[in-house]
Amino acid sequence: MEMTIVIPSRGLAALLTACLRLLHVALAEAGISDHRIVVVDNATPHPFASDRFGPQVEILRFDVPQSFSHACNAGVRRGAAQGCRHVFLLNNDVLLHPRAIAEMLAAKQAAKAAVSGARLVFPDDTIQHCGVRIGGPRPIPYHEHIHTPTPLVSRRLRTYQAVTGAAMIIDHALYDELGGLDECYPFAYEDVDFCLRARQKGHRITCAQAVDSVHFASMTPGRFRHEDESRAIFEARWAGRCTSDTEEGLYKC
Amino acid sequence: MNYYMFPGTGIFGGIKVGFQFCDMLAELGLPILAVTPDGQAPLWFPSTVAVIARSDFEAAVSADDSVFFSLPADHDWLAPLPARRIFHCQGTDPLIEPVIADPALALLACWPQAERFMREKTGRPVSNVGISVSDCFFYDGEPKGDTVVAYMPRRGRDIAQDCRRRMRRHRFEEISGLNESDCAYAMKRAGWYLATAPGEFFGLPALEAMAAGCLVASVPVIGGMDYLEPGFNCLLAPPDDLPAAASAVTGKAQAARRAALRQQGLATAYRYRRSRHLRLLKRQIAGPLEELVSWK
Repeated sequence: MEMTIVIPSRGLAALLTACLRLLHVALAEAGISDHRIVVVDNATPHPFASDRFGPQVEILRFDVPQSFSHACNAGVRRGAAQGCRHVFLLNNDVLLHPRAIAEMLAAKQAAKAAVSGARLVFPDDTIQHCGVRIGGPRPIPYHEHIHTPTPLVSRRLRTYQAVTGAAMIIDHALYDELGGLDECYPFAYEDVDFCLRARQKGHRITCAQAVDSVHFASMTPGRFRHEDESRAIFEARWAGRCTSDTEEGLYKC
Repeated sequence: MNYYMFPGTGIFGGIKVGFQFCDMLAELGLPILAVTPDGQAPLWFPSTVAVIARSDFEAAVSADDSVFFSLPADHDWLAPLPARRIFHCQGTDPLIEPVIADPALALLACWPQAERFMREKTGRPVSNVGISVSDCFFYDGEPKGDTVVAYMPRRGRDIAQDCRRRMRRHRFEEISGLNESDCAYAMKRAGWYLATAPGEFFGLPALEAMAAGCLVASVPVIGGMDYLEPGFNCLLAPPDDLPAAASAVTGKAQAARRAALRQQGLATAYRYRRSRHLRLLKRQIAGPLEELVSWK
């Protein structure tokens, strides 16, 4: 199988429907017919019916809210049969450009990377994500060029320390090797942690810049409830253990 | 996989030079990891290289890998490992002589003097893979104090004190323990840089100071003579004579001479731009290093 797509979702059914519709278009544009789509219903108050999103979409239901990592890992376990090449983690509030998947795969190949993110914009056409940089002794990841109008940001392909898990294609073998996203993170930073662990295995991380997909960002209710806890875990693990991308982020001696 | 061994993450030129080398290899498409004793990463200059602990390296290294090192003390413990070993020479200390005598090692040098030294000692081919000044050091028009003298007190503090006594109208600013960005900021605002470490192997700070538009007054060094041209782009004098040599170029009457020395210093530093270094390394990777490095 070519690709397993996992979309965790708590509610937001209408948005998820639009997300899935554009996902199908992007898959067709990339020529990927051999795929599985797993929507992880992460304790939506009114559970998604099994046929809600059509016969091509499987629903994995949790009655009790799970962490984003746990939801993703469970979805991957459900969807990724032996021989699956790629795992595609996708947020329910991402509206993919028709060429997004094709460009992500092309970027991944061109950069000889194991992980590829996507260039994402807010609805006002400013950058939401085009790669993650890390700065400072407290390793603070941040989205490069966030809120900058997208036409002003270079589309040159390059590698990064991390990319967002909102739209991330990963070699399935690597996902398995690293044990998926670390479930110690309640919500947030698990994607950056995954990328940093992948880099420690010598893998490269890139981000497709050629086209923009829309990301509404942080639409899930209670999204920020666990942010501080996740950040504390991330800092405890990575403080002093990853290099700083930028001069601004250098340790002030 | 390529690995580069580091003895630590402290503020030493060799650490930065090694990471710059790793960053460039990564930019040229090679997989590379930095290895430090405990997996800590240096945070005093920017880099994007991933860092792992020595224990993780030892568990992962295989015969397909290439291992770079620059500290002679690493030679012995790396010797039994199955990987190709490459000595990245950053200084021609006599301590390296038993290391470079090992015929199993491939030899790289960072500058021509080190290349000549190793070639003469071993009679074997040595590749010069270059060295460069970070872009942040290049002077870009900040206000510059003609009478501000920057220096690093770690080696040669007494020489700096003697200069201070002779150059009473000048303000001496110590650069110590600063990260790269703050160091560049200080140099770009200084008119002078005193290089007070006799016998320094290369003296990257003096070259960085040239890039920052400082008039460099230096004691004699070893590898640094590749770029120091006394009277043309710097002042050079033995430690005892440096205060007199420097103070002779102070005062309004010498302003044009100081400006000329700074201009030539800056022009010299341009030979060490990162982009130029990257091109050199690209040629080496396509040539003599192709078989030495690991491509997967």
